Amino acid sequence: MNEIVVQSLSQRYDVQNLAASLAVLAPRGRDAAVVKQLLAREAIETVVVASLDGLAAIITDGIGAVLVTEEALAGGGGALQIAVGEQATWSDVPFIVLANGAITNRSDQASNRLNALQNAVLLSRPLHAEELIRSVRSALTARGRQHQSRTQMEQLRLREKQLHESEAKFHAIADFVDQMIWSTTPDGLHDYFNHRWYEFTGVPEGSTNGEEWNGVFHADDQARAWDRWNHSLATGEPYEIEYRLRHRSGEYRWVLGRAQAVLGANGEIQRWYGSCTDIHEIKIAEEQRQLMLAEMNHRVKNSLAMVHAMVSQTLRQAESLVDAKASIESRISMMSQAHDRLVQSTWTNTHILEVVLAALAPHSNGEGRTTIGGPDLPIGSKQALALTMALHELATNAIKYGAWLGEIGQVDVNWKVENTAEGEMFIFSWIESDGPKVQKPERRGFGSRMIEQALAGYFSGTAELRYEPDGLSFDLKAPLAGLTG
Amino acid sequence: MTSDKSALPAVLVVEDEPLIRLEAVDTIEDAGFRTYDAGSADAALKILEAQDDIGVLFTDVDMPGSMNGIKLAGLVRERWPSLAIIIASGIVDVDKAQMPEGTLFFPKPYPTTRIIAALQDIAANLRS
Repeated sequence: MNEIVVQSLSQRYDVQNLAASLAVLAPRGRDAAVVKQLLAREAIETVVVASLDGLAAIITDGIGAVLVTEEALAGGGGALQIAVGEQATWSDVPFIVLANGAITNRSDQASNRLNALQNAVLLSRPLHAEELIRSVRSALTARGRQHQSRTQMEQLRLREKQLHESEAKFHAIADFVDQMIWSTTPDGLHDYFNHRWYEFTGVPEGSTNGEEWNGVFHADDQARAWDRWNHSLATGEPYEIEYRLRHRSGEYRWVLGRAQAVLGANGEIQRWYGSCTDIHEIKIAEEQRQLMLAEMNHRVKNSLAMVHAMVSQTLRQAESLVDAKASIESRISMMSQAHDRLVQSTWTNTHILEVVLAALAPHSNGEGRTTIGGPDLPIGSKQALALTMALHELATNAIKYGAWLGEIGQVDVNWKVENTAEGEMFIFSWIESDGPKVQKPERRGFGSRMIEQALAGYFSGTAELRYEPDGLSFDLKAPLAGLTG
Repeated sequence: MTSDKSALPAVLVVEDEPLIRLEAVDTIEDAGFRTYDAGSADAALKILEAQDDIGVLFTDVDMPGSMNGIKLAGLVRERWPSLAIIIASGIVDVDKAQMPEGTLFFPKPYPTTRIIAALQDIAANLRS
């Protein structure tokens, strides 16, 4: 753009390069013609102007230097003074003034006129060709220097502007991203953290520069981070580590730290650029997933061990394989249902009433044949499963041989908490009545062992089955703590 | 197999799950061994202090109380070095390096026949 303007101005004044040309104002006599001719021989372009206004215009348009006769200056020249005064800061157009008579003994007015030109030399007349050429050359050379420094200044200014813009752009990006960004000198001293770093850690700006960053790391992670960082500094290998960073809330959060060295042309490390990404939620979710997986695995293994024990016990006590098959099927189905319920009530928040009701539901034997009652106490998952298994055995037995075999037999299931000398005791009873006459079985099956030994064990208490003629009864006595412990 | 129970060492079964303990005791007794049983390491130590006919510790790993089965095994190896130790666990990545040297390890649910065979080997070694 600038270039085009300069070209069109040069065309207007009919010269190749206005900035390297000399304007001549010498209205009287032959001075202008002589100068033009002399300089043309030296390949210096000249533009002859007719008035001070013309001179003012060509100065504004960017002439290289001016040659003017002293008498021409005397004719006023407000426009010239404005043109000289309004030059750009880099510009100081040189004037060569052809003196009016002797160089000395000039009136104050004449001296002031010369001073107003700012950058003027006097040349005495008559014109001496060599002196003239030397003066014009040095004026144009000086003017050339002004143009050069102007270009350099403009380049500098442009570079500064670009730098400023690029820095502003960098800060906009660095402060916008959700990650913490930092940089260090080649020896690993921190000299920059983005806004997010200060927002996350809450530490005062600049307080983590140098080697102070380690202080906001969790004490257990500091040494490991130092080792890893020192290794990267020594080898130039990328830095990557997961550690806990102190959040402004005081909580430590898991963060993924990464850094990469930027190399100079000679392969030397110039800077390290790093980032920290908050991975706390992911990390915690992963830990919980691992915990849950381990817990699930443990429970599955435990369930299989229970099934194994139950099957093995059933087979050991069974009278026939057909009996054993039926028992195993019904026991596995009962364990599976108990498991479903425990999952639904999230394993930990089970209450005894729902356990008893659910265990007896599949064996429900007509209206009014069963009474169930007791405080709805919380019960642990293992105890719930054991109680379900015990009730399953009692119910199965009642249907096969006991109170539920006939039409009128009753089963009373109740439980209570009693204050005794040994503290609060949980007492659970199963009492059958009005059934067939009871006979003590000759061999103890899985059911009775499950009830008397295993169930008692799960509740850390004692259990007793009584084969009384009027009906079978069963008591479990355990410390209340055994219900959930 | 011998039917002379007194010739065989007694086995101390340590398992916190009562039903599984019941089954382990039955299995081991069916093989002709006498048993003691405990639901925790602390209870097991009390039995060991009171009885002198125990030749084998058969323990689970994951148990409530002051120590787990691996710690119990270490303590038993120190205090009763002549006892053979069998550890069984359902834990997938159980740390076998922590177990005393010479410990036999079995996964859970128990591989019954292998456990019986191991107990008989132990009994045979004790006799010879």
